[in-house]
Amino acid sequence: MAISSSETLALPPLQARRGLQAPPWLPGMWLMAPTVLFLLVCFLYPVLHVMTLSVTAQTVDGANVDGWTLANYTRLFSVDLYLRILLRTLRIAALACVCCVVLAYPLALGIARGTPLMARLVTVAVVAPLLVNVVVRAYGWSAILSRNGALNQVIKGLGIADNPGQLLYTEWAVLIACVHVYLPFMVMPLAQAISRIDRSVEEAARIAGATRLQTFWRVVFPLSLPGLSVGVSLVFSLSAAAYVMPQILGGNFSPLLGTLIEQQIVSLSDWPFAAAIACLLIVVVLASNIVFLRFFNRRFARWTAGAR
Amino acid sequence: MNHTINPWLRGVIVLILLASMMPLVVPMMMAVSDTPNIVFPPRGFTLKWFSKVLHTEEAQASFLFSLKLAGVVTLVSLALGIPAAAGLVRFRVPGKGAIVGLVLSPLVVPLIVTGVALLQVFSMLGSHATFLQLVIGHTVVCLPYVVRSVTSSFMLVNASLEDAASVLGASPAVVARKVIWPQVRPGVLAGGVFAFIVSFDDYPISMWLADGNHFPIPLYLDSQIQLSFDPSIAAISTLMIFFALLLVLVIEKVFGISIARLAT
Repeated sequence: MAISSSETLALPPLQARRGLQAPPWLPGMWLMAPTVLFLLVCFLYPVLHVMTLSVTAQTVDGANVDGWTLANYTRLFSVDLYLRILLRTLRIAALACVCCVVLAYPLALGIARGTPLMARLVTVAVVAPLLVNVVVRAYGWSAILSRNGALNQVIKGLGIADNPGQLLYTEWAVLIACVHVYLPFMVMPLAQAISRIDRSVEEAARIAGATRLQTFWRVVFPLSLPGLSVGVSLVFSLSAAAYVMPQILGGNFSPLLGTLIEQQIVSLSDWPFAAAIACLLIVVVLASNIVFLRFFNRRFARWTAGAR
Repeated sequence: MNHTINPWLRGVIVLILLASMMPLVVPMMMAVSDTPNIVFPPRGFTLKWFSKVLHTEEAQASFLFSLKLAGVVTLVSLALGIPAAAGLVRFRVPGKGAIVGLVLSPLVVPLIVTGVALLQVFSMLGSHATFLQLVIGHTVVCLPYVVRSVTSSFMLVNASLEDAASVLGASPAVVARKVIWPQVRPGVLAGGVFAFIVSFDDYPISMWLADGNHFPIPLYLDSQIQLSFDPSIAAISTLMIFFALLLVLVIEKVFGISIARLAT
């Protein structure tokens, strides 16, 4: 009795709504409409506006000149200073990726292969600093890396060098802070990828006589590449777009694309050129996502086919 | 076969974690140093820098302003994000892929560019509603986190429970309140907490949209770093670190959301 009544009465929810005259997706549209409208007006329109600004206006003698122009882009790619800033941005983003990969593997292994207690401790220790404001962490690094900072005091105290130079206001400071701040974004996808690897595969390698290092290099590493590509794309695009760390730790000596945008607008009011830099930044971030997630994942799939 | 982590590896893990704690620990040590300028290792012990900061009116005002802004942004993000997530999961809407792309795209566009774009449009409109501008700017960035988190909990909702409830005579409102809400709540809480933190911590968007009367705490901290060199900056940093710790504890105890879940 109970079974037959549930069979006749419990209609699948989607089909139940199909019988009405209005299209079945209309209520869904109403639910999403405010958010879609909000993002179209307050996000997509402003970003597209900046993009068009970069090709329809330029500043000549402090006044905006309208009309289609690529002058902002030719300036961006022909002036040596801007090219150097672009290269520095890409270099720091690439180096941050490399450092994060090296540091993230031990942590990810600790999360994915450690005891439950260890996994939890490492996760919390990796993720908790994310909740601390990025300005605070940048300040912390400046307190460590400045001329009288903690690092130099330790170096002097240990008698390694009498008058060590400072790392603050150099590319190194920006790199160190980027690695610190974006490390969690490498660790978490890697840990997920490693925990999905079947342990019996590792056991098989060990029984077959592989050392721990060989097991890692020939088994765990190739199988973790999907997680690695997610982490690399995140760290690369976050570092390339970083603003706060270069601003506080790089000073005026090593601006990145983000700091260059701010300079152009705040100091020079050159909106069209700043818009062109902004577009370049978007392109760099999108390209890194496409390259690392699409292209590399396909390569990785072929590579890992051998490892399976 | 033993699966415990190799002692060498464990040592490396401990070292990396210790190094990553340094930028949080060093300011704390400096904040209690009894010298008028920043020195390391700290000398003496004093809490005077903390009392100096706590009695600074601008610091208080910035902190309270950030709390208010983050609170409003969280409410607006939830009000927009929960229905959108429900719509995305529950209905086969034409153009769903495009809508998902639109909702998640603020995560891809660099924050500094989003801020510039908003400032450009606001100044074109001649807007002076700074608080509204900040709420709009922060909500754009917080929405994707809310939608993602709520969407994933909506996908776990067990449809047969809803059918059972309505077969037994529950009205749609009762089903929503008593059957759907308890299952979606964890995702809503996680999304709300994340929106609050993202808004409270934001620098690159506020930088463009704030003014002297609407000055979020990250901007205040940055302006102090540029201006002064006494340990009161270290004291503000320490207070903000403790505030973050407090948030973690509240999140874990009251909401029962693990930080690991927040991050993923």
